[in-house]
Amino acid sequence: MRGFVVDFEEIMTLAQALALVQQRKEAIRKRKLFLVCGFEPLHLGTFLQGHFAQRFQHEAADLKTGLYGDLEGTLAAAAGSESEAAAVVIEWSDLDSRLGLRSTGGWGLSVQPDILANCRDRLARLLGGLEALASRMPVALAPPTLPIPFLGHSAGWQIGRNELELHRQLVAFLADAAKLMRVSILNPVRLDKLSPVASRLDPLMDLKAGFPYSLGHASVLAGQIVETLFPPSPMKGLITDLDGTLWSGIVGEVGAAEVSWSLSEHSQIYGLYQQLLRHFSEMGVLLAIASKNELVVVEEALRREDLYVPAKAFYPVRADWGPKSRHIGEILRAWNIGAESVVFVDDDPMELDEVRTAFPSITCLQFPQNHPARTLALFEELRDLFGKPAVNFEDTLRQASIQAREAFHEAAERADSGEFVRGLHGRVTFDSRKDAANQRLLELINKTNQFNLNGVRLSQAEWMRHLADEGGFVVGVAYEDRFGPLGTIGVIAGCQTGDQFEVTSWVLSCRAFSRKIEHHMLDCLFRQRGASAIRLSFRPTGRNGPMREFLRSIGLDCDSGSGMKLTQEWFLSLQDALPHQIRTLRND
Amino acid sequence: MTDIQSRVSHCFSIVFPELAPADIAGASQESLARWDSVAHITLLSAIAEEFQCELDEEFLETLTSYRLIVEYLKARAVHHAQRPPLPSCQ
Repeated sequence: MRGFVVDFEEIMTLAQALALVQQRKEAIRKRKLFLVCGFEPLHLGTFLQGHFAQRFQHEAADLKTGLYGDLEGTLAAAAGSESEAAAVVIEWSDLDSRLGLRSTGGWGLSVQPDILANCRDRLARLLGGLEALASRMPVALAPPTLPIPFLGHSAGWQIGRNELELHRQLVAFLADAAKLMRVSILNPVRLDKLSPVASRLDPLMDLKAGFPYSLGHASVLAGQIVETLFPPSPMKGLITDLDGTLWSGIVGEVGAAEVSWSLSEHSQIYGLYQQLLRHFSEMGVLLAIASKNELVVVEEALRREDLYVPAKAFYPVRADWGPKSRHIGEILRAWNIGAESVVFVDDDPMELDEVRTAFPSITCLQFPQNHPARTLALFEELRDLFGKPAVNFEDTLRQASIQAREAFHEAAERADSGEFVRGLHGRVTFDSRKDAANQRLLELINKTNQFNLNGVRLSQAEWMRHLADEGGFVVGVAYEDRFGPLGTIGVIAGCQTGDQFEVTSWVLSCRAFSRKIEHHMLDCLFRQRGASAIRLSFRPTGRNGPMREFLRSIGLDCDSGSGMKLTQEWFLSLQDALPHQIRTLRND
Repeated sequence: MTDIQSRVSHCFSIVFPELAPADIAGASQESLARWDSVAHITLLSAIAEEFQCELDEEFLETLTSYRLIVEYLKARAVHHAQRPPLPSCQ
């Protein structure tokens, strides 16, 4: 099950979850997860392991849990554990046991002020526990999913003041929790869609076994926790059609002034799509156009000032009467990314089919005509495909730096290579601070394919352990030149013993190729960090050809099978003076 | 083996994967050390899911062997088969 479009037939059953858990018993890679809850974990634990096994083939979740009725104590135990990630599932009864079915402490009007005060105190303590836990590992937080039992004095159709007060306390707590790094909160709106509120509680199981959820709800909740804790890599680029997709009307027939996207012209849904694309553009998603039209007509329409997404957000724009698969191929080359990271949106199923045939790994989505509900469902699906836990500075630079790359390559072709790179007036910033708050470095390690030493991906917990390791080093690299800033575009990390360095992760964004930045990175370890020899944990991945070529260019044998070693003496003997200015940021 | 027996056996095999197929028919809470309170809830939940029936208190507390579970489900099937059909809408 991926994202918004849910087939209820696909909800994992308990039998399926148990079978998956059994299948993975012998899995080589077991990842430690902690389920923090105040009730008996029972089927929620089984479903978490089942959904984890479904998400990660060949891996198993080694699940730890705490004591019944002790949410705070379990939070503390999780924070002190070696787990890689934690799911914190709160129910109202964890805030005050009188809000659960297993207590007879009463919830009458006379005790409600005490319940409210108790919940406020408990939420404050939970926030502290959550902060400690999130300093160690990523956390998925599930707010209460069951109804508050019978608190109001009013009939059931009217909500009471104290119920609202409880909700106010909870929302304030969640808003504070959302500010904590590495805490991700499950979206109650999505959960409401997937698991109807009326069928979530299983009173018999709650009273008999201390487990409050129906099987269906436990399955959905576990699935959402796994999605939140281990989100799939977001898509990188969206290619859109124009007529019947970005606007209503056929621009080649009615002219640039007559295509529309407004409420008054009954074409508001296209305006909403434009707004969504603008939002994506601001999140760093690459946008491009593939259209069967005359380019001059398209350019005229894109000059209209009432477009909700600025024309400059689209790069490249491909418009002619050739097949769209050709447009897509050209766009992918300009972006230098794979089709598997790209979504193509078009209203014409035949065009989608033609593109899908040429690029089987591209995600093709149809823009529905005259059906706003389906169009909104498409928007939700796009949100799931492109959504990311945080937007960073580099995201805002991506589109501009790809556009600058064309000018860069044109200039490079006109000049002698060495002279050209020196003429860039580049500035490289090395950041050796082991800052767990800098999520960009881990993001680069986990999404870079081409200039990547070995393709090894790291979990948040593995990265945090590396940063905490005294022998571990990390150098992040930012770059800018006369073509503009690229932001943080590279990482080199590993461990050192004296002057012997071992590099286990080394990546450089493809946006930063051809500038000798990779030479500067090795030079940094040799000259600034004092390495006399560097061992590189290279492994071919099928996609890291640029890394292999670079290693060969400095005389290393990529086929030897043993770890490759580079000495300072050898490396410096190969280098002329490197071209860029250097700035260094370090703690010490 | 009847359809009910075969489906109950399947539930036993996923909850107690180490139990040999030949031993399933004789399994009970007394004879099987792994059949603790958590396994009991898991087994009966898997059976309720398989047969699309709701757990009730009697079901939870008295069905402590393979034989008793099969008998309960057979009786339930007969009871459901004997129920008069619902009056048709006019």
